[in-house]
Amino acid sequence: MNIDLLLSAVIYGLSIGGIFFLVSIGLSIGFGLMRVVNLEQMLYYTFSAYITYTMVKLTGQFWLGLLFGIFIASMLGLIVETQLLRRVYGKEMIFTMIVTFSVFLIGIGIIQIIWGLDPKPVASPIKKILNLFGLKIPLYRLIIIVVAIATYLMVQMFLQRTIIGKAIRAGIENPDNLQGLGINIYRIFTITFVIASALAGLGGALNAPLVMVGPYMGFDMLLYAFITVILGGLGSVKGTLISALIVGQVISVGGTIWSPLSFVAPFIVMFLVILIKPTGLFGIKGIM
Amino acid sequence: MQRNKFDIFGPFILTIFMLILKFLFPNKMSFFTEIIIYTIYIMGNNILYGYLGLVSFGQPFYLGVGAYSAALYLAYIGHNPLIAILLGLVSGIVLGIVFGSPFIRLRSSYFALINAALCAIGVFVFERLLIDITRGNDGLWFRSRMHSISLLDIRLPSNFFYFAVILFLIVTIIYRHIDHSSLGTLFRALKNNEDKLKFLGYNTFLIKWIGFILASMLTSFSGALYAVNFGFVNPSLGENSRAIEVIVATVIGGSGTVYGPFFGAFAFLGIKDIVCRWITRWELVVGTITIIVLFRFSKGIWGNIKYLIDNYKIKPAKLK
Repeated sequence: MNIDLLLSAVIYGLSIGGIFFLVSIGLSIGFGLMRVVNLEQMLYYTFSAYITYTMVKLTGQFWLGLLFGIFIASMLGLIVETQLLRRVYGKEMIFTMIVTFSVFLIGIGIIQIIWGLDPKPVASPIKKILNLFGLKIPLYRLIIIVVAIATYLMVQMFLQRTIIGKAIRAGIENPDNLQGLGINIYRIFTITFVIASALAGLGGALNAPLVMVGPYMGFDMLLYAFITVILGGLGSVKGTLISALIVGQVISVGGTIWSPLSFVAPFIVMFLVILIKPTGLFGIKGIM
Repeated sequence: MQRNKFDIFGPFILTIFMLILKFLFPNKMSFFTEIIIYTIYIMGNNILYGYLGLVSFGQPFYLGVGAYSAALYLAYIGHNPLIAILLGLVSGIVLGIVFGSPFIRLRSSYFALINAALCAIGVFVFERLLIDITRGNDGLWFRSRMHSISLLDIRLPSNFFYFAVILFLIVTIIYRHIDHSSLGTLFRALKNNEDKLKFLGYNTFLIKWIGFILASMLTSFSGALYAVNFGFVNPSLGENSRAIEVIVATVIGGSGTVYGPFFGAFAFLGIKDIVCRWITRWELVVGTITIIVLFRFSKGIWGNIKYLIDNYKIKPAKLK
């Protein structure tokens, strides 16, 4: 296996790892803070991709579509959080999982009604291919990697430097004490959830040119997001980033070695992680 | 735990009900056969969810393994469908023993997810890894290799229906027996409060493991029945996307009860049959039904009926 193939696989892996990070960060923080396993997270991902498609179709502007997609995704997140999740906080986790998954299914049904069943292609906004180190690398994928890293830095800054961020981190560790400080924890939940869904929307819009935008695109992504979150450890931002990169590499480099491996290798990883160290690489102890 | 009159004759009543249905609607016989097989599938999940309180997002895996065990036997080794079905049953027991011990240690959400991962790995195994013997997505045909067994030629659909009905009767009686026995009581106690049961001196790990083995045995058994019924298997039997359906059906019927699985299978497959004629967007319906059932109807059909019957009897007598 030559070096060129390996290097392109690595870069490809970094770009899909970036997407995984964007969609999984919501799952991870949402779980850490609200103890809610948000299985409908991928709905925001899917909706945003579809909105981007529609914008591109109507106006030809991809980046405008991306912004609009993120906006719609966050609005959806707001609606779901305030109407549905409020009612299931405190209930047992399995109940929440089934409920949120059903919301996911309903959302897929709505998408099918609005946009139909056939997959929609979205043209990549940047078709330039760079020639780096003798490899042909699409510039768009590099931009995704840059966006993911920038997002990570911004999320970390938000969590470490702002009051709300500190409140979120405190809430992850001890929700009761946070309320004891007089902070309205439900508002913190809502803010966190909206950020999470916006990021998932960003991931969806960015990924739209790379995969076929179809009603079921969220399904596959959901499983990968789970693998990312469990490997990284629920509740940890750094863990999500690192494990997203790892899963991306496993898929791309593993796929280069033996193509069917790209599908199943992440599941084998998840299987082993749950068996051996369920809290994952950087998981915060005592959460699950 | 009240034992009402229905309970004693329950399995027989349901069996006769199925026979009457077949007599009344002979053209829907294959649908009724599927209801019976699906009931056994749900019985397996009911032990996990209703009795032990464990949710698994990977039940299709056990179904698929049971189906493929029967299928591979019939395709390559032998001709007797009874042995194939027995192999499916045994494969379920093996799966339960092998995976039960590491899985049931895990906390609820991890248990659900590791089963989901196993399910995805299973699809890979059947579709790609063993493609030479399983023929992957093309599926494995073996109907022509099945021979008739001495009493009943179950290759014919109507005979298979009667065969399934007899199995249904036997399985329901055994299932009811388990429910009424100490094991059933232990299951209920465990779901209620595991620590208390430990303090009483019971080995809760072993109880959960036995429950898991029973569950996977029933699930794989139903998988083998599916295989022999269709004479054909393919990896989509074991796919992840089917995992939520069995959970919904379990809850609809009434989780933790003996007859719940039957009502769940009937209701779920019935709704699916009706809805799919008009609406192609099955996901929307499944999602909506699940939410309605979970929020408003969590006892399920049989659970609600039982509740009404039991409470009706407790009404105090009027003094004259």
